Amino acid sequence: MQIESFRRTCVALASLSIVSLGMQAPAIAGVVSTAEAASSARGDSPRAIVDATIARGDVQDKLAELGVDAAAIEGRLAALSDQEIATLAAQIESAPAGGDALAVIGIVFVVLIILELVGVIDIFKKT
Amino acid sequence: MTRLRLAGAALASLLAGCAASPSLKDGLPASAPRAIELAATPFFPQEDFQCGPAALATLLVASGVAVTPEALAPEVFIPGREGSLSLELIGATRRHGRLPYVLATTADEMVAELEAGRPVLVLQNLGAGPLPVWHYAVLIGYDAERNVALLRSGSEQRMEMKWQRFAGTWHRGGRFALTTLPPGVIPAHAEPARFIEAAAGLEAAGQRDAAAKTYKAATARWPGEALPWLGRGNLALAQGDRAAAADYYLRAIQLAPDNAAARNNLAELLFDAGCLEESRRQIERASAFAVGTSLESSVADSRARIEATTRAVARCQFEDRNWPD
Repeated sequence: MQIESFRRTCVALASLSIVSLGMQAPAIAGVVSTAEAASSARGDSPRAIVDATIARGDVQDKLAELGVDAAAIEGRLAALSDQEIATLAAQIESAPAGGDALAVIGIVFVVLIILELVGVIDIFKKT
Repeated sequence: MTRLRLAGAALASLLAGCAASPSLKDGLPASAPRAIELAATPFFPQEDFQCGPAALATLLVASGVAVTPEALAPEVFIPGREGSLSLELIGATRRHGRLPYVLATTADEMVAELEAGRPVLVLQNLGAGPLPVWHYAVLIGYDAERNVALLRSGSEQRMEMKWQRFAGTWHRGGRFALTTLPPGVIPAHAEPARFIEAAAGLEAAGQRDAAAKTYKAATARWPGEALPWLGRGNLALAQGDRAAAADYYLRAIQLAPDNAAARNNLAELLFDAGCLEESRRQIERASAFAVGTSLESSVADSRARIEATTRAVARCQFEDRNWPD
């Protein structure tokens, strides 16, 4: 129920924000962007640029697979540089996704059970 | 007995991970205040898995953006991961006109940010080893005497966490710390290259006004850096102000004569301004400097187009000007 209402809020907000999202500065033909110049100054190889172009499509597909509303994906990625997209592509399944501190309680419980089972502690009542 | 010893050893090594870092009193820079609390920092209690949007909203609101975690969730939350990735927090920060600046991996810059009155978003790993628990919280202060970090975290408005434990969870989270800067604000500790690249990210995300203010501040703070001038040139050109853009590109080239991007863009500008001969000279210089860099192919494209043109599109707009060799 809560999830359903959250999902609906997400979709509503996403469709509202599409207008404002994804307004990547239109490149003037032939002009090197400041971001490209900065990445070159940092020593990015020509190869990295090619990889990033491929990566953008991969990340779009992956986010859709992970349940992100399709209409919002392009806008979300528009604010990331090619290099960031390439990083994201490599890590989207494995990078730390900050979520919920409440899960700690669950983990503590699991650890306690393991310690109980191997006999280190004895806190659970046995009948 | 062996099992017991193994479990005991595992537990001891977990604890040892925390015991290694020094107490706050010992680790704090000598000039830093003994205690800081940014008590006015807003608080958004997180809902299920929404610590990313909640922590980011905390920072953005503190930096003057009107936004809520609910509005940020569709921009950063990934249902399949039940959480948010730090790169997406960075993207969302740009979309809201703030400059995301990732801090160095030592605690000093976090302390410096708090001193400047800005809370810091941190990624913590509250689990350990094979059971990581990723969590975003906002560091709003510390107390060296009592050796605690002060956080807005999850559903707790004011969490006190023993400094070593905070430092340990932050270390296991990859030492990710983020500040969201209003346009034109440059932290005292900022590194020029990293900061200017962050500013370029703001420009690429379409935040031109914010980027313009940031570049302007950067040219004042680091007068010897060429890239902020290039950024100002690109923004001026995007607004159709060729004369201003030409001045900015010139400044960039004076500071860094081998900057292929500035040479390339000046060549494009001169081409559009009808100054074909000078445009050719600049693009030749650009392509020489671009060899082997990531700009090589785009500069080569410009060169091919410029050199294939034999007649200028108009009378040269800048006939009486001198251009760099």
